Order: sequence, then structure tokens, then C-alpha cells
Amino acid sequence: LTGLFRNVVGGKTLTKADLQQPLQLMQTHLLEKNVAREAAERLCQSVETDLLDHKTAGFTSIETTIRESMSKALTRILTPTSSLDLLRNVTSTTSGANARPYVISIVGVNGVGKSTNLSKIAYFLLQNQFRVLVVAGDTFRSGAVEQLRVHVKNLSALSQRENVGKVELFEKGYGKDAATVARDAVTFATNSGHGQGMLYDVVLIDTAGRRHNDSRLMSSLTKFGQLANPDKIFMVGEALVGTDSVAQARNFAKEFVDTKGKLRNNGVGMDGFIISKCDTVGDMVGTLVSMVHATGIPVVFLGVGQHYGDLRGLNVGWAVERLMR
Amino acid sequence: MVLQDLGRRINAAVNDLTRSATLDEKAFDGMVKEICNALVEADVNVKLVMNLRTSIKRAVNFKELAPGVNKKRIIQKAVFDHLVSLVNPHNSPYTPKKNKANIIMFVGLQGSGKTTTCTKLARYYQARGFKSCLVCADTFRAGAFDQLKQNATKAKIPYYGSLTQTDPVVVAREGVEKFRKERFEIIIVDTSGRHQQEESLFAEMVEIQQAVKPDQTIMVLDASIGQAAEAQSLAFKSTADFGAIVITKTDGAAAGGGAISAVAATKTPIVFIGTGEHLLDLERFQPESFVSKLLGMGDMQGLVEH
Ligand SMILES: Nc1nc2c(ncn2[C@@H]2O[C@H](COP(=O)(O)OP(=O)(O)OP(=O)(O)O)[C@@H](O)[C@H]2O)c(=O)[nH]1
Ligand SMILES: Nc1nc2c(ncn2[C@@H]2O[C@H](COP(=O)(O)OP(=O)(O)OP(=O)(O)O)[C@@H](O)[C@H]2O)c(=O)[nH]1
Ligand SMILES: [Mg+2]
Ligand SMILES: [Mg+2]
Repeated sequence: LTGLFRNVVGGKTLTKADLQQPLQLMQTHLLEKNVAREAAERLCQSVETDLLDHKTAGFTSIETTIRESMSKALTRILTPTSSLDLLRNVTSTTSGANARPYVISIVGVNGVGKSTNLSKIAYFLLQNQFRVLVVAGDTFRSGAVEQLRVHVKNLSALSQRENVGKVELFEKGYGKDAATVARDAVTFATNSGHGQGMLYDVVLIDTAGRRHNDSRLMSSLTKFGQLANPDKIFMVGEALVGTDSVAQARNFAKEFVDTKGKLRNNGVGMDGFIISKCDTVGDMVGTLVSMVHATGIPVVFLGVGQHYGDLRGLNVGWAVERLMR
Repeated sequence: MVLQDLGRRINAAVNDLTRSATLDEKAFDGMVKEICNALVEADVNVKLVMNLRTSIKRAVNFKELAPGVNKKRIIQKAVFDHLVSLVNPHNSPYTPKKNKANIIMFVGLQGSGKTTTCTKLARYYQARGFKSCLVCADTFRAGAFDQLKQNATKAKIPYYGSLTQTDPVVVAREGVEKFRKERFEIIIVDTSGRHQQEESLFAEMVEIQQAVKPDQTIMVLDASIGQAAEAQSLAFKSTADFGAIVITKTDGAAAGGGAISAVAATKTPIVFIGTGEHLLDLERFQPESFVSKLLGMGDMQGLVEH
């Protein structure tokens, strides 16, 4: 942001006219960071509401005042209302009298990084001593099963070397119904009635990429959600994607209804976003704002590379700093 | 791509203006603004949109318009010309020739659709009488060779790859050598996904290119790419000097403005678009019909001759 308005200093009561042009600049700034227009516009509106009739502090330009207000607005939107402690959730589900495997599935459009980030999550869980069953729920795309087999082989070697956790692949080849494969995998991991208790702590289900405007493939997610009944459904959104991220988020979220037609997770549909490929966009991390703004679903992980360790929790301050840079 | 949606908005903006009783400068500015909003929402690069805004205004030069002229036509033509110039790089792509080895190398960001498109393109040329084959020089991504193998097998296209060799440069060189000897006419080399921020990946791309000396390097771009399109495509251009672009996933809902910005930034023609996950989902690209689709109106076509 250039210092066009730097000269206006302190103690001024802000009017709509004062704010109009600097807010326009701020909106353009957000658009350049790959924030979808709908989100950028709304954010600027909230800054306007925040600042109208507000008296700027001493020695503070309109620009600085707007930047501060925007940083606050971004922080507010990106900060989850309840924090997700995945490890704690897994532990409480897999222990006690009603112990059962914790089920996570990963969904998203084609090529965004579902299988890779699923493998990163598996790595993270292994590091925390959990037993992980990876499920090849993409029974469509060429090489999808082999891709996961390679990841599981690598992860298995790593976990043996470091003597942590264990990981295996559950696959039924190509062409099978993904929802059925997923359900069978959960049954297998639960191992009820066979003694020895459950075989795996976490079941991680991969799914085929699908475009959100393909109604046939999208509606099959509903059945998938009901049959596999995951504890968490994470959607991978790609940092490279522009405005389409908004429709992606909304259209995936709305498929996850229970048998009574109620949206999962208190009416928002999914449990979190994994924003992948953050390492490829520099400061342009706007996708995370767009997707959260569109749905109210929080970002739980960021993908920051192609290796198993390249998974981060969201640091809101980091994201806001990049967006305001 | 929902180009039609964008076209409809642009069209509506122009029509609203020219239909309104007072066609004054304020209304004209409003129209230009509405068009620019539509373009930004379609992911066209923000700076590019701003330039477009200035040049449309300059081209129409509202203040100086003589009272008698057909304002609607002048405005429509200015908008149309500027949009055409975005996708029309005035640069023609390489055309493969029979009875020689045409080496085509694919490059692009992670997950953009390279591997899928490689097989589609090999089949496209196979169907047109070229002896076609595929080389898998992606030794990084898990299952990359299996993916290519399964696609190639379905399409009945010969392929080369290695499960043990980890250096993509070696695989690429060996594969191309082998198929060259066997007198293949279209030899397509698939490579792994990469991005400008990771220098070693770009260096590897250059090495593969030096090893196989492609007649054509194609950059594959996902239709849903946003504001990062320009920087990434410029980086690929200056490093690999690709001569053609394929836009994939145009069957999705994205408007494709990011990919179009990449075309504009690199002055490189789009040669094909991917329209689905299946082998036959590939179409040749025509800039003119693209723009008329973009504008969602047949009558625009007539303006090109003027
Ligand atoms: N740079 C970078 N690349 C990533 C990241 N996550 C995934 N990728 C790459 O993106 C490409 C696609 O990843 P996949 O995991 O196969 O994507 P997918 O969503 O499972 O793809 P489909 O199953 O075909 O829909 C691969 O080349 C990955 O290495 C990331 O965070 N950063
Ligand atoms: N809907 C649709 N999906 C496509 C199209 N082209 C490719 N895909 C899908 O996009 C995903 C990624 O495609 P790939 O061919 O694996 O992409 P890539 O560029 O080779 O990926 P990396 O090698 O990991 O960089 C797969 O799920 C493909 O099926 C298309 O035109 N339309
Ligand atoms: Mg996958
Ligand atoms: Mg590939």
C-alpha cells in the first residue's frame, strides 16, 4: 500500500468521503493477494462500519487507521471460534470403554493435494504414536491406489526406523464404490467381535477429486459421508486457486448432510480446510480468507511443500501479516 | 469455463449503458467499472484489469465522441478488441511434422493436469496418423509412473519410464533416445510439478530440457488459477521458454481469467483445452470463438472485420 494518505495526521473524525478512496485502495490490495472479490468487498465494508465517525488517534494517518482495522477484521475472520486439538480428539475417541477408531476423510476438487496432505497427516499421527489405516477411497483416477501405496511404504519405513506408530494401506483396487470401501475399512479397523480390540487408532480416507459443478459426483459425497460417518471431514483447498475457491467451499460443504437432511458439524457441513501449496503463492494467501469467509469453516492445516513434514497449523498472525504486506 | 457468465455480464453492462436514456460520461465510467469487476471476479490479473480500464477509456475517448456516431458500436468494439488482444498473442505455435521425431515436453505447477493431458495429446496425434508415445520423466511424485502407465495402456500408447532410476534427466534422455531410434513421430515427455519458489526444481526442468531438446515445450495451467498465475507463468516462461499453453479443467466452474492473464503475460498461444478427466476430453483452442463465447454474443463476430 502506498502512502497516499500518510499526510492526514491525527484527531480527525472520519467521514464516508474520507474513507472512500483509501478503502478502494485497500480492496484492490486484497484482490491482488488473491482474496475473492466478495470477501474483499465485505471486509472493506466492515472496516468502513468500524471507522465511520471514529476519531483518528494522534499522529495516525487514515491509511494506518484503516490498516489496523483491516488487520483486526482479518484476524477475527481467520481465528477459529473453537480450536481443534486433533491429537486430543483422537486420544479421547480411541481410549476408554467406548473406544473406537477415529475416522478422518479428505475431500476436494481435482489435483489440489488431497492424497499428499493425507499422507502428511498420517506422518503427523505416526509421530504421535498412533496406528493409522490409510484408505484408498479414490477408486477412479489412474495411479491413485499406487500413489498411496508408495506413501504408505515410505511412511511405514520411517515409522519403523523411528520406532513410532504403524501404518497400512486398505485398498480394493479400482472401480469399486468409494463409500462402501470406506465403510469396510472402518469396520476392518474396528475389528469388533474378533477380540484383541481395534486394529487401528485412526482411519484416513482419501477420495477422488471432483469438480464442484458435477452434480452426480458431488451428490455421491452425501452417501459417502453417511456410510463412512467420519469424525472429521477436511476439505483441501489450493492456495493457487482464485475466485472458484468460494464456490468450491460452499458446494462441498452443502453435500454433507445426515440422514435427516441436517448439515454436519452444527450446520456448516465440514470440519476444516487444509490450504495446500501455500509455498507456491508468496504473499498471495487470500484463498484462505475466501474459503473461511464463504462458509465459516476454519482452516486447520496449511500445506507448505511436497514432503511429509510440510504441514503446519494455521498461525493467524502469520497469515494476516502476509495479507497486509 | 463459465465464460458465458462473464460474457453475459460484460454484454449486459454494455447494453445497459447504450440503452439508457442519458449516455453520459458517468454512465460510461460505471459500465467500465462493472466490466472490470466482472473481469476481477473471473480472476483476471488485477493490474491487467486496471490497464484494460485505462485503455478502454482511452480508446473510446468519451468526451470527444461526435454526437452522431453509434456509441454502442464504438464501445462494444473497444471492449472486444481489448479482450481479444488478451488471448491473442500474435504468435503461432509449433506444428508437428510427419516422418520426423517431434519432441514435446510438458511443464507446469503441481497438480495442474500434465500427466492426464500428456496421454490425451498423444492419443490426439495418434488418431491423426502420427506414431505417438509417452516418456515419464516424473520420478518424484508417488505413483506418477503407474498413473501414466495406466493411462497409456488404456489409450494403447507405447510408454517409457523407470521404477528404479531416480534421476528424471536420465529417464527423459533414455526414453527419448529409445523412441527416436524406433522412429516415433510424437514423443511426449511428462515431468513433475514444480513452482518458481523452489530453485532446484526449476534447475531440474532446464536439465531435462537440455537432455531432450524439445521441439515444443507446453505449459499446462489449471483454469481455476487465481492471481498467482502471472508470476508463475512468467517464471516458467523465462526459465523454460515454453511455446504453447494448455488450459485444463475447463469443465469446472472457474472462469479462467487467471489462465488468460498467463497468456497475456507470456504472449504465448493456448493450443488445447482440457474438458474432463477422460482420454477424449481435449479440444483444440480457437481464440476467436473463445472470445465470442466470452462475450456471449454472436454479433460480436461481425466486429472483427472492421
Ligand atoms: N508445492 C506444493 N505441492 C503440493 C502441496 N500439496 C500437494 N502438492 C503437490 O500437488 C500435486 C497433486 O497432489 P495430490 O495429492 O496428488 O492431489 P490430489 O488432490 O490427491 O489429486 P487427485 O486425486 O488427482 O484429485 C502433487 O504433485 C503434490 O506433490 C503443497 O503443499 N505444496
Ligand atoms: N475435470 C477435469 N479434471 C482434470 C482435467 N485434467 C486433469 N484433471 C484431473 O486433475 C487431477 C490432476 O491431474 P494430473 O494429470 O495428475 O496433474 P499433474 O499436473 O500431472 O500433477 P503433478 O504431476 O502432481 O504435478 C487429476 O485428478 C486429473 O484427473 C480436466 O480437463 N478436467
Ligand atoms: Mg488424490
Ligand atoms: Mg503428473
